[in-house]
Amino acid sequence: MTFSCLQPPPLPDPHIDLDAYEAGADLMVLNLGPQHPSTHGVFRIKLVLDGEIIVKAVSYPGYLHRGVEKLFEKLTYAQVTPIVDKNDYLSPMINEQAINMVFEAGLGIEVPRRARWMRTIIAELQRIASHLVAIGTFVLDVGGAIGGGASVFMYTFRERELILDIFEELTGARFHYNTHQVGGQRHDVPLGWDVKIRAAMDSIEKSMDLYDTLTSKNGIFRGRSLGVGVLGRDLALQLGLNGPVGRASGIDLDLRRDAPYHLYGELDVQVPVLTEGDCLARFRMRALEVRESIRLIRILLEDVPEGPIAALKPSKGPTAVKLKDGQWYVGVESPRGELGHYLIASAGANKGMSPYRLKIRPPSLHLVSLVPWLLPGNSLSDAIAILGSLDPVMGEVDR
Amino acid sequence: MSPDLSAALTGLLGTDSVVNCGMIVPNNLHLPLATLLRDRGYTCYVTVCASHWPAQPALKGAPATEEHFEVATVLRDPTRRDAAHPDGSQTFSWRVSLAPGEAIASLTSLFAGADWQEREQYDLVGVHFAGHPDLRRLMMDEDWPGHPLRRDYAIDTPHAPWR
Repeated sequence: MTFSCLQPPPLPDPHIDLDAYEAGADLMVLNLGPQHPSTHGVFRIKLVLDGEIIVKAVSYPGYLHRGVEKLFEKLTYAQVTPIVDKNDYLSPMINEQAINMVFEAGLGIEVPRRARWMRTIIAELQRIASHLVAIGTFVLDVGGAIGGGASVFMYTFRERELILDIFEELTGARFHYNTHQVGGQRHDVPLGWDVKIRAAMDSIEKSMDLYDTLTSKNGIFRGRSLGVGVLGRDLALQLGLNGPVGRASGIDLDLRRDAPYHLYGELDVQVPVLTEGDCLARFRMRALEVRESIRLIRILLEDVPEGPIAALKPSKGPTAVKLKDGQWYVGVESPRGELGHYLIASAGANKGMSPYRLKIRPPSLHLVSLVPWLLPGNSLSDAIAILGSLDPVMGEVDR
Repeated sequence: MSPDLSAALTGLLGTDSVVNCGMIVPNNLHLPLATLLRDRGYTCYVTVCASHWPAQPALKGAPATEEHFEVATVLRDPTRRDAAHPDGSQTFSWRVSLAPGEAIASLTSLFAGADWQEREQYDLVGVHFAGHPDLRRLMMDEDWPGHPLRRDYAIDTPHAPWR
């Protein structure tokens, strides 16, 4: 399947002065959100419309702000992990890994090989689960497939359930796992886990072909996504977008390959890159990444390392980890882009048991900061498709 | 860090000890340093992290410190770094120390992605970014009193219920 390379339209200025806009134009202000289902969470955009075309978009996040960075000041290092599960609630495992990796960098701990193997496989399973939601909700947003897109949505949730079952068997929880700890894992692999994962991968791979048939051959779906919301490479790089959205616009950056962590350095991660930068490219990029993750998981399952799953002894309480003065930044590849944590530790903060300041670098914040740049010039109906194709998680934007 | 970049940084900062992560840079060199790094391949804006340090009395031999703010900036060079292509860390970060009320230069002229990150730090910590095109609060209400991520802002500070 080939697509013509579309030229992106000239970018409008997001800080446009409306008084200077075409005197006498009949402009209308429309509030999109905060409770609009297409914004994937609570997010408000004030749109200024000229007819049906968006002239200016002003976004107001913050409706889901819970102040987790303030909470980190009082919580001990071990108590932070279950809190970050709730930030990006579609990929909690990767959030746990990211935050524990920055603590491990501060402590200078080497994580055992078996724990790193588990983290790699968990991260790839979580990436598939998160992308399945993104694919399903995007098709639901633009419609087109059988039943207005609802059938693809249901199918993807059916396959995602397989992965949640795998995680439930490992941790006992379906959503907020708390299975990572500083230095390793809390729960070891259950018996027969690999058989279950292999069966799930086969099933998901088969379903990916089905979604492809339902979407890429559907005229309505293609008409609503092909050439819509074209994001150029320069703007994507400027805005710090480096996840699937960035790669759909031609940024060849994937931290799993370019700054390897876990066991990714030993795997040959193939990073798909598309150059169209439209909604369809972003949709296709996630499908390609699911297939790549399936391939990586199959390679990982061939060689299961033995050994301990944690570098430290099981902690007897929440105060076991203490850090001295220092600053560290660790970024990992989450399903939405670079998820990073900037940690400032001080021996004076709660006797060294709590972070002095822990700043989260959420990829979704950069995704929604794209809105004022990308929406102007598009019609209102295309705005829904563009927001859906970005796949932001508001719990992570607002924190 | 390549020797070439290291020499350029030494020339700009006038110091021999150029350290990645944690190095303190004078406020007037913040924007020139970011420009130099961007021109040498650090094209990807990662994050900015402001922190508040209240005044500390002299304690256990450590000297007393004045109240100040610190702003740490992280940039990324999106070229490959692994065992086969080792060139140090992909990210470069530095810190700027600010007196209360002192503003730091905004990086929005170099990286559009700095826009919301700097707004968030202004909102939560109260650091001013000079030259930012749209410095409004991002998370809290526009009429919210104070800046929640300051160390002297108690976690149970009472506030009026949301309307």
